[in-house]
This record gives sequence, C-alpha cells and structure tokens, in this order.
Amino acid sequence: MKIFQVALGILAAIGGFVDIGDLVFNSAAGATFGYQLLWVVVIGVIGIIVYSEMCGRIAAISKKAVFDVVRERVGFKAGLVTLIAAQVVNLMTLAAEVGGVAICLRLLSGLPYRWLILVAVFGLGAVVWITSFDWIERIFGYGGLCMLVFAVAAIKLKPDWGAVAHGFVPHLETKDTLLYFYFAVGLLGAAMTPYEVYFYSSGGIEEEWTEKDLGLNRANAIIGYGLGGFLSFALMIVGGALFLPHGIGPETLGSISLGAQVPLGEIGLLLALIGILFAVGGASIDTLFSGAYNFAQFFGWEWGRYRSPAGAPRFTLGWMVLLVLALGIVMTGVDPVQLTEYAVIFSVVALPLTYLPILLVANDRAYMGRYVNGRLANVLGGIYLVVILAVSLSAIPLMLLTNVGQG
Amino acid sequence: MSEELDIGLGVVDHQLLDSDGRRCGNVDDLAIEGEPGKQAEVVAILSGPGVWRERAGLLGRLAAWIGGGRRVRIPWDEVAGIESHVRLKKKATEYGLGRGDDRARPWIAWIPGSHR
Amino acid sequence: MRTLSSIVRRKVVTEDGGDLGRCYDVRGELSRSGLKVKGLVIGRRGRLEHLGIGAQASASSNRVRDGDVIPWEAIVRFERDTIVVRDPWSKT
Repeated sequence: MKIFQVALGILAAIGGFVDIGDLVFNSAAGATFGYQLLWVVVIGVIGIIVYSEMCGRIAAISKKAVFDVVRERVGFKAGLVTLIAAQVVNLMTLAAEVGGVAICLRLLSGLPYRWLILVAVFGLGAVVWITSFDWIERIFGYGGLCMLVFAVAAIKLKPDWGAVAHGFVPHLETKDTLLYFYFAVGLLGAAMTPYEVYFYSSGGIEEEWTEKDLGLNRANAIIGYGLGGFLSFALMIVGGALFLPHGIGPETLGSISLGAQVPLGEIGLLLALIGILFAVGGASIDTLFSGAYNFAQFFGWEWGRYRSPAGAPRFTLGWMVLLVLALGIVMTGVDPVQLTEYAVIFSVVALPLTYLPILLVANDRAYMGRYVNGRLANVLGGIYLVVILAVSLSAIPLMLLTNVGQG
Repeated sequence: MSEELDIGLGVVDHQLLDSDGRRCGNVDDLAIEGEPGKQAEVVAILSGPGVWRERAGLLGRLAAWIGGGRRVRIPWDEVAGIESHVRLKKKATEYGLGRGDDRARPWIAWIPGSHR
Repeated sequence: MRTLSSIVRRKVVTEDGGDLGRCYDVRGELSRSGLKVKGLVIGRRGRLEHLGIGAQASASSNRVRDGDVIPWEAIVRFERDTIVVRDPWSKT
C-alpha cells in the first residue's frame, strides 16, 4: 500500500510542479534557441532540489519555516525588506497565474475574459475554503497530469534527438548572446520559483515532519522537481521542434497549446488546455498560501491550512486580501504572459534574500544539531549561492538590454 | 544549571507560544535593567507593532502605524522555556497577546464553514 | 530601562577614544532565576557577524558566536550613539 501512496504522490507531483513561468520561458526558449538551453533547465532543477531539501530539513529539525528563519537570522529591519520584496513578487506571480487560469477557461469555453477572471478568483477562493488540502493536491495534481501531453507531443514531433542531446551540454552557438543569457536567467528563475520553497517548508511544518521524515523530504524534492524538470524539457523540445522552424513565437497560452494540437490534433489541444488549467490553478493556490504564510510567519500570527479559518483569522484574511489584489491587477487588462516574464525576472532578483539565510541556518548547529549540511549539501549550496547572486545581479540589466526578451 | 546564549540571536525575533501552543507574536525587543558597570538582567519581553518603531527606521514606523501601534510587556518570569520558540506560562489572552487575531476573527467568523 | 535594540549596533569605544568595533549582540546567561546579561559581543565585521558568518563551526550547540565579549561591568556609560567602556578590559 505504501508503494501505491508513493506512486500517487509522484503522479500528483507531475501536475504540481510546472507553473506559468515554466510554461512561458521554456516554450519561448525553445522557440528562440531550439534545444540550446536545455542544460540551463538541468541547473535550475538541481538548484531547486538543493534549496527545497535544505528548507524541508530545516522545517523538520528546527520546526521553522522560511520566514521564521529570515526574521531570526537577519533581524527585523532586513527581514521586513525581504518580506516586502518577496510579497511583491508573490503578488505579481499570483496575478499572472490567475490571469492564466482565466485565459484557459476562455480557450475552453469561449466566454468573455473579464467574466472568467471573476470566475477564476471566486472559484479558487471557494476551492481553498471548502476543500481539504489533501483533495486540493489530488485534484490539481491529477488534472495537471494532462500536461504529459506535451511529452507525447515532443516525441511525436520527431525532433533531431542528436541536437536535443547536444542541448544538455553547456554551449553558446548564437550571436544573440544577450538574449541567450536573458533566457538562461529566466529559465533559472522559472525553475527556482521562491514561492514553491515557502510553500514546501510551511507544508513540512504542517505535516509535523521530524528527523524520521528527512528521507521523505529528500525524495519529495528530487522526484517532484525532477518531474517538473522533465516536463520543462518537453516544453522546450516542442518549442524547438515546432515553433522555431515555423517562426512562431509562443506569446500566448493559446499558441503554447498549439504545441500539442499540431502533432496530436484536437484531443492534444484539449489535454493541453486542461493540463495548463490545473497546473497553473494549482500553482496559484500554492502562491496564494505562500503569501499568507510569509506574513504570518514574519509577524508571529497563528497560521496553517489545517487550522480552521476562524482559528487563524489574520492568516485567512491574508490570503483573501491577496486574492482580491490579484483580481484587481488582472482586471486592469495586463497580459498575464507579459506579467509572468516580469514576475520571474523580479523573483530572480529577490532570490538571494531568502536563499542566504536558509543556507546559513542549514549550517547552524544551534538550529540543526547533527543534521547540519554535509559536505555535498554545502558544496552544492555554495555553488548555487554564487549562481543565484550572479543571476540576480544580471537579471534586470539583461531584461532592459534585451527589451524584455524581444531581442 | 545555566546556559550561555547570545540574546539577539537566540531570543529576539523568535516566535512566542502560549501555554496552549498558540502562536501569539514574536519577541520584538527585550527590556534590560541594570546600570552600566553593575549587574544587568533582562526583565521583560516587548512585543507588538508599537515596538517595531525603534527597530526599522522609517519602514518600521510605517509598519507600526499599519499594525496599530500596540505594545505588550511580558515580565521575564512568565517565560516557561526557550527552545526553538519562546514558551510562555499562561494563555495569550492573559498577557494581552494575540489581540490581532481576536480582532480579525469577526471578519471571518460569519462565513459558513469557518469553524471547521 | 534599556531595550536590547538600543544597545545593539552601537559603536563601542574606550574612554580615550579607541575604537573596539560594533556591538552586534549581547551575551547572556540563562538559568532558572532569569536571564542575566553578561556582556557585549563585539566584532569588526559588522552585519556579517549578526548573520553568523565567520563564526561557529564549533561542535557546541550553544547559541553563542565567536567574537570578543566585553563584560557588562566594564561599561562606563552609554552615549548617544556609542558605548564607552573602561580601558583596558580583559580579553580572556
């Protein structure tokens, strides 16, 4: 029975670890540079595995989530700045995802976009209020499984597998160097989304992880994000095999879904839209809760998705207010795909602010006892600190120099 | 049996838990009594938005204003233990802590299903 | 009555103006009878010390950091932005 549960968990993970940032950047990277950036996705996936494993371990041993740690480690003032930066990025991401859900609903139903934004917001709010979290993870996880259609599509498009393999080797074969690095930064940012880490670490506390769960933590991180990486490969391969040769820029979720429709017909399109709807919808719930968790953890409020809403009123109001704010942002008519690009780039800029305290605490015996980072974790953790700092500093300049990826 | 610790790192900014294990704020600052050159000790925990004013400059004052500016003083005798959180001996309401949640509750409580 | 936040981050100087660095934490002694203040933890690396960089790696699980501790008894007075301590004070 245990194997069955693990398999279910894996299935749910496939749907749960791809969000709108991955969709947009992986498809666009494929459409612009073919398979050349596949190696960056590998780096991003390993990075998020390292980061979340540390956060999960910190949650299990020290019983603290990310913003508990940030505040304790860098103090109130720097912590408050970090909180504000994180929440701005979270809100942008949430708005982009809510908009993405509305777009999918429009593509599926043909109803007007503005109404569907309201449907999306109230629908998400109702799901969060009524449904238990186990069911939320199942529904959105299994629904997101439909994203596997992109893996099937990638194979059906018969890409040059030699070129695909070559893409896993870091190389630079283009004159468009700035644009190449812009996409590299975006792909790393999309893979290492901070809200996933906030959500994951808070989840570890909610599940009351202890040292017995460290293996589970590691498995979750590796399998979950590994599968997300696998889907990201599929999206980029589809981009390279279909969009690049035809000069299509996947600038809307509709055109991204073309990637499944062209090789697989109407059923491919339907599965792609359903998969995107559930993957992005599930991601929006994760982002929503991350925002509420961050406020609650920083200010010391009661929090938890297993608590009754009245048992954690400010936490509950927190996610409600965030949902309303996201509604407002999407209602202005901003393009969710454009907003996604900004959200990913800004999240990259803010990434060191939460990564560094986590790395420090993971090494702190007062918090971790004998479960401090071993040599591998520290080597990887240190390498990624350098990577994250480099990417964070170059993100905005690259964005400006490439005119947000327009080249 | 005594233990050395760095107070800023080990106590300040840590989560407060009451006797029921309810989260009720953070240790936002500590009150120390004792003239320079003589014995000094920590006499109280200070918690609440009003305490943030001194800790983060302009941003802190803004946050304090948004938060309502209350300060709560908890005598150090009320500390039951310091582990990963700071545990207090009595319930939050007895100290005047957790008022923010109490004030926010009516906004939620009328919605069906909020007491599950 | 003084708050911890008002002590931390001040510069620490000797009576004749010598600069000893900044106070980035306060060393205490926790026991059943209370939390006594032992001294000021000073260092020259500024913010890095508060983050815990350059310290630790000791096998002890104490929540203490390396860095010199000036005993509370060595403090002469608190000025507006600085803490003045007696000179010399023992480093051991």
